[in-house]
Amino acid sequence: MKPWSNLRFAFMRGAGLDWMTRLSSGPRRPPASREPFFGPPLQSRHELRRIMTRHYGLARYVKGVRPVAWVTSGAPVELLRAFGCYTLYPENHSAVCGARRMGPELCEVAEDAGYSLDLCSYAKVDLGHALSGRTPVGRLPPPDLLFCTNNICQTVLYWFKALAHHYRIPLLLVDTPYVHGEPDEAALRYVGDQLKALVPELERITGSDFREERFREVLLSSRRSAALWGDVLSTLQARPTPMTLFDAFVHLAPVVALRGLPVCERYYEGLLRELKERVERGVAAVPGERHRLLWDNIAVWFALQPLSRLFAENGCALVAGTYTHAWAEPAARIDERDPWGSLARAYGLIFLNRDLESRLDLMEQIARDFSVDGLVLHSARSCKPYSLGQYGIQRALEERLGVRSVVLEADMTDFRSWAEAAARTRLMAFIESLEAA
Amino acid sequence: MGQKAAGRSLAAVWPARYPAELLWAHGICAGEVWDPPGDVGLTSAHLQSFVCPVVKRGLGLYLSGTLAPVDLFVFPHTCDSLQNLSSLVKDLLREERPCLAWYPPRGSGPQALAYAESQLGSLSRALERVTGPMRDGALEEAVAWGERRDGLLRDLYRSRAEGKLRATATEFYEAVRSCEYLWPEEALARLEAFLRERRAEQPLKEGVPVLLSGVLPAPASLLQWLDGEGIRIAEDDLIACGRRVLREPLESPPDPWAALARRQLAWPPCSTAGSPLRERIAFLRRLVERSGARGVIFLAMKFCEPEGFERPALVEALRAEGVPLLQVESELEPEPPASLVTRIQAFLESIP
Ligand code: SF4
Ligand code: SF4
Repeated sequence: MKPWSNLRFAFMRGAGLDWMTRLSSGPRRPPASREPFFGPPLQSRHELRRIMTRHYGLARYVKGVRPVAWVTSGAPVELLRAFGCYTLYPENHSAVCGARRMGPELCEVAEDAGYSLDLCSYAKVDLGHALSGRTPVGRLPPPDLLFCTNNICQTVLYWFKALAHHYRIPLLLVDTPYVHGEPDEAALRYVGDQLKALVPELERITGSDFREERFREVLLSSRRSAALWGDVLSTLQARPTPMTLFDAFVHLAPVVALRGLPVCERYYEGLLRELKERVERGVAAVPGERHRLLWDNIAVWFALQPLSRLFAENGCALVAGTYTHAWAEPAARIDERDPWGSLARAYGLIFLNRDLESRLDLMEQIARDFSVDGLVLHSARSCKPYSLGQYGIQRALEERLGVRSVVLEADMTDFRSWAEAAARTRLMAFIESLEAA
Repeated sequence: MGQKAAGRSLAAVWPARYPAELLWAHGICAGEVWDPPGDVGLTSAHLQSFVCPVVKRGLGLYLSGTLAPVDLFVFPHTCDSLQNLSSLVKDLLREERPCLAWYPPRGSGPQALAYAESQLGSLSRALERVTGPMRDGALEEAVAWGERRDGLLRDLYRSRAEGKLRATATEFYEAVRSCEYLWPEEALARLEAFLRERRAEQPLKEGVPVLLSGVLPAPASLLQWLDGEGIRIAEDDLIACGRRVLREPLESPPDPWAALARRQLAWPPCSTAGSPLRERIAFLRRLVERSGARGVIFLAMKFCEPEGFERPALVEALRAEGVPLLQVESELEPEPPASLVTRIQAFLESIP
């Protein structure tokens, strides 16, 4: 069985998968005509689609060939790559399900199994997938192990505990204490020590030895990817912006799911080139850009299109976001000469794991760097860690920056209580207030 | 106020698990903020509607000004909501009194133990800034109080599980929950008296024994109603109560710091901790067996993320064993809704 699986995986990784994808997708359709309030679409989107399709496509052939790990988005995946694990990100998959408007359907599967309506919909979409096998990406291999870091929220731990129970597989946890004020060295030591202690555990689970050289290579690659992503985002400081945050939400996928791999670096090199060219040529993502906005929280995946349209047709470009920014943070912290300590800093100090004062400072800084004149705070109904505190953040930032803001009540994937007309009215009132300011 | 008169400082402590002994050693009486009465309307400028009632009630109490006599706040980082609440009070409401964090390690093994110990040290230094240096021997004394309290709670729980306690649920939880706000010596005296007066030699064989699982034994009216219906809560797996009782005595190292650190990792399995689900299931099974509970009531707190993710697996496991179950959701309404009353009655009828 194993030699055949190996062979099949090697073939697919070579030319097989690309060939099959071309065959099944047929001739490329001419692009739909763009509405005038959008600039020309990014060419890199084709490459993005190719590498993400390939990532999910290859996953179908990897079972039995390499250990399959399901990983939280903020986990130090570099360690798993040193063991040759094939990593999949339930959060990324949930975002894909959300964008394809499968959120409610999968949430309902989880709810039928007893998960409450009020729980994180990313988690419920994933549990719904685990229970039903339904997914828009064909098929996902069940995991051999789970790797969780609670630096983005404690909820991922509850979610992954449920998955570990469902699949009866090991759950490896890197516990990252929440940071108030200045980083606490004892907490960072705790994170680093846990990482080191995982090495023998991973050797046992994967049956592979820890390859330190490989680990350092991955760290370097990860740092480059994060830095490139930071450079990509920096191009949005240009006026007019060459892409909006709605694009950034989509182009975020590789740095979440593929960081530490050369394909990720290559992708962002290409995207950065394209964006720089657009800046040079003054190509606007939103022609006639009048207002520049900062978005707080995860995307409303099911409404990306109507929201981006509404903002663009009113001359508003979303140019910065807290969530997208988070993925550039590790660049300054990863140091291959101090792998454990630097990984602990890179992952233990991400802004979602820090107090609201730090979040305020960061948002203020981003707002100034990107010349923002308005804030949109997405209050995600089922994401408490990101949303609880937003009302106070809104007031504080309005005061610090002297800008207008709006809170948009929505969710990441579950549109059952989404009131589009009400949201539209609220956003229009906000945009009018920007015009009047 | 009595505590202040006795020269003690006061701390408002949010749920759930934290080293109370360290506060006592610093001469601080902890008052835990679980489900205080009050107006949650005050919180609407700060919290969205989808936040759990425990966080809302706690913030409501804070905003009402009732906590004015308190000298400091302690926020265990039990869940995302409490974690954010700690920062909301400190960073957005700009509370000037000390807001101290306690992070219950989710990990296990030597790394978690070392981190718990180091946190105890830093929490103690922060407390010293409020109350001055700790008196010699104070920590040893406080740890001993903690161990006595554990022993008494264990006895209480055991007596109740064996049906040898003459107490309604309301009386039982009033006694147990007095540990949430009394100075330890007073709480010990109260628990001792309660045990002395209420323990029976032989099982009393009264009421239908059930196990209550969830966050809190609340609202009070629900307990009264259960008492009235002949339901005997024989065991509980409540975050505020049974999940804070060490079910076996802990072999403590002589060093009080090490003993206190060890204890932070020795609580029963909980949805808010890193413990695997199979441990919680095994824990529940033991409780059901030990108490002879003939059914389990899951009293779910609305918007409680940790409990919400764990309950389906618990329900599935118990159902597979044929244990009658009832799941009800609460927002800590003062009166149990009529529909709930009807459902509990139907559940009781389903118990063989
Ligand atoms: S609670 Fe929020 S941050 Fe946590 S997994 Fe869900 S969506 Fe992500
Ligand atoms: S009820 Fe649940 S969500 Fe609320 S504070 Fe307690 S553990 Fe957190």
